[in-house]
Amino acid sequence: MMHISSILLFIMYFAALVAVSWCFTDMETGPGAALFSPPNGGDRFKIEGRAIVPGLKTQDWVSSARVLVEGEEYVGFLRTDGSFTVNDVPSGSYVVEIVSPTFRFEPVRVDITSKGKMRARLVNYIKTSEVIRQPYPLQIRASGPHSYFMKRETWGWTDFLMNPMVMMMVLPLLIIVLLPKVVNTNDPEMRKEMEQSMNMLSPNPELPDVSELMTKLFSGSKGSSKTSSSSSSSKGPRPAVKRR
Amino acid sequence: MAKLIFLWLKCLVSCCIVEAVFEDQVGKFDWRQQYVGKIRFSHFDSHVQSSKKVLMATEKNVFAALNTRTGELFWRHVDKTGPEGNIDAFLLHGQDALLVVGNGRLLRSWDISVGGLNWEVVLDSGSFQSACLIGQQDTVKHVAVLKKTVISVHYLSNGHQKWIENLPESENIDYQALYSGGNGEVYVLGIVPHSHIAIVVYSMEDGEIIKQYVNCLCEMYLFIFFQSLGLEVTPHFHPVLVSHQPNAAHQPLSEFLLQLGPEHHLLLQLNSGQMVVLRDFKPVRHMTPVLTSCVFVSESEHNLQIDILLKGLLHLSLFNAETGRRLLDTTQFLSIDPNVGKPESIYVQAFLKKDDSVSYRVLVQTEDHTLTFIHLPGRKLIIEEALSEVVTMEMVELPLTGTQAELEGEFGKKADGLLSMVLKRLSSQLILLQAWVSHLWKLFYDARKPRSQVKNEISIENLSRDEFNLQKMMVMVTASGKLFGIDSKTGSILWKQYLNNVPSNAAFKLMVQRTTAHFPHPPQCTLLIKDKDTGLATLHVFNPIFGKKSHITPPALTQPILQSLMLPLMDQDYAKVLLLIDDQYKVTAFPSSKNVLQQLQETASFIFFYLMDSSQGRLSGYRLRMDLSTEQIWEVIIPTEIQKVVTVKGKRSNEHVHSQGRVMGDRSVLYKYLNPNLLAVVTESTDVHQERSFIGILLIDGVTGRIIHEAVQRKAKGPVHVVHSENWVVYEYWSTKSRRNEFSVIELYEGMELYNSTVFSSLDRPHAPHVLQQSYIFPSAISAMEATLTEKGITSRHLLIGLPSGGILSLPKMFLDPRRPEIVSEQSREENLIPYAPELLIRTEWFINYNQSVSRVRGIHTAPSGLESTCLVVAYGLDIYQTRVYPSKQFDVLKDDYDYMLISSVLFALFFATMISKRLAEVKLLNRAWR
Repeated sequence: MMHISSILLFIMYFAALVAVSWCFTDMETGPGAALFSPPNGGDRFKIEGRAIVPGLKTQDWVSSARVLVEGEEYVGFLRTDGSFTVNDVPSGSYVVEIVSPTFRFEPVRVDITSKGKMRARLVNYIKTSEVIRQPYPLQIRASGPHSYFMKRETWGWTDFLMNPMVMMMVLPLLIIVLLPKVVNTNDPEMRKEMEQSMNMLSPNPELPDVSELMTKLFSGSKGSSKTSSSSSSSKGPRPAVKRR
Repeated sequence: MAKLIFLWLKCLVSCCIVEAVFEDQVGKFDWRQQYVGKIRFSHFDSHVQSSKKVLMATEKNVFAALNTRTGELFWRHVDKTGPEGNIDAFLLHGQDALLVVGNGRLLRSWDISVGGLNWEVVLDSGSFQSACLIGQQDTVKHVAVLKKTVISVHYLSNGHQKWIENLPESENIDYQALYSGGNGEVYVLGIVPHSHIAIVVYSMEDGEIIKQYVNCLCEMYLFIFFQSLGLEVTPHFHPVLVSHQPNAAHQPLSEFLLQLGPEHHLLLQLNSGQMVVLRDFKPVRHMTPVLTSCVFVSESEHNLQIDILLKGLLHLSLFNAETGRRLLDTTQFLSIDPNVGKPESIYVQAFLKKDDSVSYRVLVQTEDHTLTFIHLPGRKLIIEEALSEVVTMEMVELPLTGTQAELEGEFGKKADGLLSMVLKRLSSQLILLQAWVSHLWKLFYDARKPRSQVKNEISIENLSRDEFNLQKMMVMVTASGKLFGIDSKTGSILWKQYLNNVPSNAAFKLMVQRTTAHFPHPPQCTLLIKDKDTGLATLHVFNPIFGKKSHITPPALTQPILQSLMLPLMDQDYAKVLLLIDDQYKVTAFPSSKNVLQQLQETASFIFFYLMDSSQGRLSGYRLRMDLSTEQIWEVIIPTEIQKVVTVKGKRSNEHVHSQGRVMGDRSVLYKYLNPNLLAVVTESTDVHQERSFIGILLIDGVTGRIIHEAVQRKAKGPVHVVHSENWVVYEYWSTKSRRNEFSVIELYEGMELYNSTVFSSLDRPHAPHVLQQSYIFPSAISAMEATLTEKGITSRHLLIGLPSGGILSLPKMFLDPRRPEIVSEQSREENLIPYAPELLIRTEWFINYNQSVSRVRGIHTAPSGLESTCLVVAYGLDIYQTRVYPSKQFDVLKDDYDYMLISSVLFALFFATMISKRLAEVKLLNRAWR
């Protein structure tokens, strides 16, 4: 049950990823690096982009979100329209992620050359040199809210009934109750046939009847620990078996 | 295909051991407190009439909006630590808050109602001096930023630069201040030390210099000026002038305050070139004020001023600035706790109430970083901002109540006769019954009252240990030198103590000398406060439950202290012995009674310790001699030219390891190498070039100095986070080659048989342990790491990892196991080993703090509880977060969602079913008998 759901989740996740990458391809791309005088050696650049949470006003989530570049090495904040700029970043390769306690955003790797050329690609920690281009300026769309919580195992009638142990108990009971009704036991031919098959099953007539034994055992102290309806309905078939 | 199987297995495993918070558990066992740090700038939001917002820019590089009534945060923005996120200036105009960040590097505008950024621009380099809003024709549309050599003017709406000009003669003149009177001119004031003042006036439109003044700066002038006002001043005084400009588009008020001395203020009025003294605030005779501070506040036409005097008492009152008269009903005396230190800064907001009377709010920050919001009818709200910099902490068990102690005492005493024991047993049962009945009665009584009135007030008086010892006292030490005692269940501060003689760069070490287990003796904690520069240390001994300073006088420490260690020895009062080693390698014991000294002499040959001198790269081991002197027995030199020692980590002394080994797939046992004296030494290369930098890890036996293992991670750099526990060391570093964070785990095993299974001795272990190591990729940086800790060590371990995103990840140690196989075999499956995967996953379900992010986690403290399954966790940084974790789920106690209703209804149903079926069976038997 559990792993099936997680595989489903995986599939959904990939589907979402594909959908997101589709969204990106039709957006315009282009380098947006600006160059300015460095404060302490080496050129400094800025990483620009925009974060989108579909179907939500920006003011509801921007105040709790941040843009982190390579851990907390460089920090940017989101503007009221969801766009962001991280200033004063030297050339190099960085993982840019938007952290928000409510929404999940996929991280993006941004490469900045020493001349200020920018490139965004998918983060792949295992094959670090693999390049799957992403649009730049960054367009990061939230892939839904974070799932922090486990579902409680709630108790329901369906869970109880679908339990294999219960099924094993209920099905034979149904057969016991329903079978005599379907097969007409009053028909003398039928009875003969049944008797024959019974004799074939239990070749030794001296052996005590199992059902007899059970009734003896339980009739004193315990009823069958099923619901009252089942015990009352057992009134019907039992004499039928015994009358033989 | 193989990959798919791996994925499948991974899913399977991760699902099996998943451990997460349930939605209905939110806030049940956990709490979070958010802080901002010590205030640097603060403004009340006066844009909206009934706003309860106060905006703060703090020394922790945090910009936040707080509710003045409740102290809750509306929003908070945490910038980078260090000088690059430093907030230099804060201007507030209507809905926009302007911040100059990183020594004038960035200019940011925030929307204070939403908490979002309006714009951010990069300014030219140069050290920042001042910033001010510029008004023109009754509107404020620009902001000017003054740097050492340039002045620039930006539009308020989008941050674009209007003009930028170099300042004349900037190499000689030290430009310091900016001023704009709302007439389209910008005044820049510069000082040539010991010579003159230069004023440059720029036109706001195009940045042209309109005028340039040069004034003589001479103390004599001021002297003569004051004498003309009829005031007596001493020749070496430092006057401070406080003026107020309510709106940048208008002229400032003609009234201003002049501070002549620490206790002497003047209210002056400048009227067409004439100076008039409106009021002279002199120290009141019968109370000598320690501090007087005056602030201008304004509210429409009222020009008010507040005068504050202090002598353990805060005296607040409003004065009309135009007349100098005190306003009625605005005087307030507020007692301030004498041990919180002096007020450092005061922010005031005055406003008109509905009935046109004047009221005000005050925000006082004291030396111990406490914020006090004062509302006029005497309501106070205290926020302990010192808790934003917790340095170290301990969790101390709560004491037993009287009855509990009596019950416990029964088992401790020697048996004296059968009868008396039976009687004692009965009486204790009676006590229990009585307690239970009174508890029931209380429940019943509370249930009748409306819910709002039922308060479970926790105070020091009714603190007592709960059934499973889940509630503890958190003793927290903050960088400002304030100690706190916090109840771990609710997070309420039960006691606080400000130590006002703590040096600013102190290092702290908190030790529990005596727990609450030794009943008539009070519990005792010792705080070692060491000045990092001089090495001189002091001891503060206190009771961790009440926070009171102990009457025990700690030894005077005259020499710099190198090392401190707690011994498992106890004196006759059950206090553990603390040894302090000074730079002469002399040992001081605390407590140092005769009993202790005798015990020390007996056990001296077993006491070893190590000293680390990171500046010389020397790690040396010492042994205690009988006469309490020391001798060096080993030394390891780590050449400082190549690498420097970052951390030395031993194991936690309160850690228990339950299983001596691991059962393998073929039913043999792999024994763990459990050396309690093992030290993990982490080094970083001094060469920071990404091709040549490396991380080294040394495992050294602390008694013999034997190097057990050495590992080097090439092309890696710090910061390194290490956890050392049981037989494993986990460390995290940054791989410069692949630009990612990596985890590495080292596990030590003795092999298939144990050398000496009864006792471990470092001196008698001839075989070197087997070392296994594996590394993994971790997809995030980390800010702190710790391992869970439980009472007996039966529960599996998890690593608690603080992430920069604010989450605290609980990663099962199972994933960091060097025996994870690359190819799955029958045996490894039997052992429950997860197949090796290079990347560790971060699943948000493993975040123990769900959406309650904790900013800048600096440390995670774990403590065992009375339940083996439960570990108490406190993460501290800018925020404090407390929760419980169950690394192997709650196996020893019913879960909190246990369905009592279901089980009882099923029981009743079964009972009735038996009754009914019995009756039916009887009827049936009767019927058969009749037949």
